[in-house]
Amino acid sequence: MNGEAWLFLFAIVMAAVLLFTMVFFIIMFSDLECDYINPIDLCNKLNQFVLPENIGHAILAFIFLFNGAWVSLLLNLPLVAFNANKILNHRHTYDATEIFKTLPQHKKECFFKLAFYLLSFFFYLYCMIVGLLAEPIKPRH
Amino acid sequence: MSPQFSVAQSPHSICPASYKRCTLNVIPQTQAVLTKTKLPFGLIVTPYRSLLPGEEPVPVINPPQIVRCRRCRTYINPWVQFVEQGTRWKCNMCFLTNEVPGFFDWDTDARQQVDRMKRAELTHSVVEYIAPQEYMVRPPQPVVMLFVIDVSFAAVQSGMVDIVCKTILEHLDSIPNSDGRTKVAFIAVDSSLHFFNLNVSFSDDSLLFPNHNLVVSDIEDAFLPLPEDLLVTLTESRLVIEKLLSNLPNLFRQTKNSQNALGRALQIGFKMISAIGGKIVVFQGSLPNLSEGGLKPREDPKLLGTPKEVTLLQPSNHFYKGQYIDIATLTGLSRVTGGGTWYYPSFNVSNPQDTAKFSAELHNFFARPLALEAVLRVRASKGIRMTRFHGNFFLRSTDLLALPAVNPDNSYGIEMEIQDPLGSSSACFQTALLHTNSNGERRIRVLTLTVPVTDTLGDIYTGADQYAIATLLAKKGIEKCLSSHIESARDEMVSRLCDIINSYKAAFTSSGQNSMLILPENLKLLPLLIMSTLKHIAFRTSGVIPSDVRSFAHAMMCVYSTESFVPNVHPRFWALHTMDSLAGTVDEATGQVIFPTVLNLSSEKLERHGLYLMDNGTDIFVWWDAPLPRNFVGSFLDSHSDGIVPGKTTLPQLPNDWSKREDGDANLRMLFLSHLMEDKLDSGNSYPLFWDTLGRS
Repeated sequence: MNGEAWLFLFAIVMAAVLLFTMVFFIIMFSDLECDYINPIDLCNKLNQFVLPENIGHAILAFIFLFNGAWVSLLLNLPLVAFNANKILNHRHTYDATEIFKTLPQHKKECFFKLAFYLLSFFFYLYCMIVGLLAEPIKPRH
Repeated sequence: MSPQFSVAQSPHSICPASYKRCTLNVIPQTQAVLTKTKLPFGLIVTPYRSLLPGEEPVPVINPPQIVRCRRCRTYINPWVQFVEQGTRWKCNMCFLTNEVPGFFDWDTDARQQVDRMKRAELTHSVVEYIAPQEYMVRPPQPVVMLFVIDVSFAAVQSGMVDIVCKTILEHLDSIPNSDGRTKVAFIAVDSSLHFFNLNVSFSDDSLLFPNHNLVVSDIEDAFLPLPEDLLVTLTESRLVIEKLLSNLPNLFRQTKNSQNALGRALQIGFKMISAIGGKIVVFQGSLPNLSEGGLKPREDPKLLGTPKEVTLLQPSNHFYKGQYIDIATLTGLSRVTGGGTWYYPSFNVSNPQDTAKFSAELHNFFARPLALEAVLRVRASKGIRMTRFHGNFFLRSTDLLALPAVNPDNSYGIEMEIQDPLGSSSACFQTALLHTNSNGERRIRVLTLTVPVTDTLGDIYTGADQYAIATLLAKKGIEKCLSSHIESARDEMVSRLCDIINSYKAAFTSSGQNSMLILPENLKLLPLLIMSTLKHIAFRTSGVIPSDVRSFAHAMMCVYSTESFVPNVHPRFWALHTMDSLAGTVDEATGQVIFPTVLNLSSEKLERHGLYLMDNGTDIFVWWDAPLPRNFVGSFLDSHSDGIVPGKTTLPQLPNDWSKREDGDANLRMLFLSHLMEDKLDSGNSYPLFWDTLGRS
């Protein structure tokens, strides 16, 4: 396997992890709606995962940058900028006192991210296969 | 609904509007019809409101078992139906039939038949149950009050510390303490935290150490110096507390410390009372600027009146979720804990009116009924869903409001929608407030409101409650103000009003019949109320309103009940010189005071040599134009003509009133004129012009 295939293999794993985080977020939000969990517990729990999720995504983008995978980088940059903007404005954590007012918005955001990670998962898969196919076929002895 | 339709046909089956009112007194069957009318659908609930003089108290009942629907947990109420010869009752929310318990007809103690139709839960729409064990997670808590007093330079200089201590000292008796369990604690804050040992044993050596004052100056790593003796029972440590309160101002008289670590004090205070829960009363005379929750002065006159103004009105710091003290951020504290905020602009102890107002309001604050560790749940008939809540509370789940302390003045706005078409001929809204009152009793206050359901558009319009609609729209507007900006909140209110007018016109006039603006009789005042709301300090477009004043207006608007909202945006205005001889006396037939005719709020009503009185619920203005007869001033204002100071003053028996003289303070003159809602004001249109803009849009 060549470098490009390894890179995208890593990206696939990363995308899968992020995908699962988003699924977890969405499950927690619907739990809140059904009153299985109270807003304070929910926010304490979810806030632990917000930064790791954002950092994980940023690391992925950095790896694309250093490996010169420009198309993938370009696809990921808007989300990195969006996350960074939220963190800089201190809006990235969930606020238990406002959670019910902002819930539809949070859910929309999570679904959007979910779709994005899912699409990028398949995109990286495609890229990995392309990378594998691009390997020169070694002549048989 | 007429009481005839209730099960006991008692006149008390109707829920008084002051407790709970719906914006629509007749509600449509489906959401489609509701959307067509454009009328907002919601409730204004003031569950714990103070009783007016002469009003009967809420009936308190203690049945062997609290009767509730098995499925939807609705409390039995005057609007249920008895079926199967009265052996079962049909829930009026989910229509499930439930068993009627035996004690409804048979008193086991007295061994005799009783009439179930005499039971308070079937005759009264507002009842209070004494809650049994199942409704408690722990024994009812005692009343706990923690006073956090700002003793930094600014607060001491303004005299706030003196007056706070003096007032608390005077009103120690009015702190609810019927069971003798009430606990109090004091923390003084500047750049360090001062705790006071209030243990009884310290009262002896008090000559040397007036009160054992424990200073924690390392606020970054603050701790509770004495876990036990800081929070003490009021009855036991009464003497020590009195001594402390009389000495506290002297202790800090010479202070030069201008810093204030309120945030840390609140954290420590929370730690102190968290085992029991209770009320934290914060007296703040300066901007908290140190440590956790420290704020920076943000007031910038350049921003006032610009779209950026909203940045000043949004909390700068998420820690408080209460000269310039950043009300916008500090109110966050009361907003999520169900509390209240009082704001005294440019408070100074040398002004006796200020101190009187403060003292009277603080007394009121202590003396009013207190409810702690409360939860409020709103249930509605099947098909109706609550979408949004407005007010001061912490939303614990989709329909459960947590209120660590219930402020009787606070009301809660609830927006609703119709999810499924309503099947029955009436809809019911039930609010249950589970709380611990100041006697240490766990109680449930249940308010039940029933409104008829219709499918005719006309009935919906004629049943609409314009006052409740205006209140709800204003509360929505405040939320909009804080999330985007004032201008968009104003636009939204105006466009909502236009929508209502247009949809009414579309439904009841054939096209081209006339282009006049028409509204049903009971919505006639809605445009005036909306226009007055737009001119209220909370929404007015003006470049001169300090952001503290604006934020305070927002905070109040959030919690106003309809009864206090209406006079506040549209004051009552009377001409005293033309009133007839009967006015002001008590009508013997009704027992009510006869009021003079209310005037329109327009300066064309102001005549020369006239005398006018205006009341907006918090302030009273007296306006006169010419020198008044000496005897009048004496009898009316209880002072001599030449002794009247233009400015704030107190009328006999009416605390916190303002009086004003023509050649007096220009600011007060402006304030009075700004209440004349029908006139043009700054950028606000006069009433005819406002109508004109409505007609064109």
